[in-house]
Amino acid sequence: MSTIALALIPRAVALNLAIGAIVAALKLPVYLDSIGTVLVAALAGPLAGVITGVTSNLVLGMLSSPIFIAFIPVTAVIGVTAGIASRVGAFRSVPRALVAGVVIGLLAGATSVPIVLALFGGVTAGGTGIVTIVLRALDLPLASAALIASVSVDVIDKMLSCAIVAAVLARLPRRIGARFGLPHPAA
Amino acid sequence: MIARLRRINPLTAVAAAVLLVAMTYVVPPPVGPLVAVTLSFMLAAMTGAGRRVAVLAAAVAVPTWGFLVVMNALVAPEGETVRVAGVAFAPGALVPAAWISLRLGAAVAALGWVVMTTPPQRLVRALAQRGLPAWSQYLLAASLAAVPEARRRAGEVLDAQRCRGLAAGGGPLARLRATLPLAGPLMVSLVTDAERRAIALDARAFDARGERTSLAEVADPNEERMLRMVMWGASVALVLWGFVR
Repeated sequence: MSTIALALIPRAVALNLAIGAIVAALKLPVYLDSIGTVLVAALAGPLAGVITGVTSNLVLGMLSSPIFIAFIPVTAVIGVTAGIASRVGAFRSVPRALVAGVVIGLLAGATSVPIVLALFGGVTAGGTGIVTIVLRALDLPLASAALIASVSVDVIDKMLSCAIVAAVLARLPRRIGARFGLPHPAA
Repeated sequence: MIARLRRINPLTAVAAAVLLVAMTYVVPPPVGPLVAVTLSFMLAAMTGAGRRVAVLAAAVAVPTWGFLVVMNALVAPEGETVRVAGVAFAPGALVPAAWISLRLGAAVAALGWVVMTTPPQRLVRALAQRGLPAWSQYLLAASLAAVPEARRRAGEVLDAQRCRGLAAGGGPLARLRATLPLAGPLMVSLVTDAERRAIALDARAFDARGERTSLAEVADPNEERMLRMVMWGASVALVLWGFVR
């Protein structure tokens, strides 16, 4: 891994944690807490993406609540999928990035379900949990309700994250893109 | 004893927490989680973090119990139901919800004790002494240090864009449109800052191989190393027992 990728990862981890201030100010119904992971994966590839995701949840576990450590596999999946998506040019335009966001959201949501079922009994205390309860009220089995709730929230969240990352990459100075081995990220 | 506990090597604390988490999830409830949560609170109280650890554990366990009760006892009642104020209620769902929440609370209390009583930089130094690669040390330490700076910068970007007339209200679409002007500058500044940091790292021979010296050593007495080995062994034995029983 290049030194610039290594230097970017801590800033991306901090971005994952700090973006909450902007999300709260805009009262958005999403988290965007993987946006730094997607950014690093788009610039520096799947390995850097995985390292960013894992480090984010370790740091969150240390600074906020240890429960985030249980979701490390989810952030690793986000990092590797976003990195692979970048390799096939998914961040060259916003529409392509939206498609990548759907794929990342599906995989992230599916990865989180076994963790939620095993540790939380299928429901987390929050927006996703409310969706799960509503789906259970519609007689869906617990695993299906948890999967649909998790995937639907994650798909919207990752679509927005990927679209923002694609828009930011298009605005990056060419010199910076070149340092990550890209002629120009938006080219 | 208490003074010794306060100076414990962070890796010993991590080993103890992992053993308590293993006990929580392998030993059937209520014994496993109750013993684990009691020991965690005792450790936390002896190191001056009892109240904070209790709040942290309750913040996860209590809402989870509430959501589980609403889902399994009211919305989609499982098992026999009784009528309470005209609403079907499954009292049998209360106990399983309590065990799930107790396990969560116990695991959070065990790990929370380590988090609340161990300065992260000390944990990174202790890991470095045990052979953690330099790049991993940098990632953990720099990430922890970068969080307050990123939060400050996010606040600055918010203030600056509000001064330029950015409206953070309106419908969902308007708020979504406002995301890029807020997140964009923050992200671009973090990437350009990374380039400056990379030059600084290269200038300090970050890639150089060989052993590095630390200015602050974390004490790691032999008896603690022995204790750690016993605790790691017990954790592995518990997990194996959980698989075979």
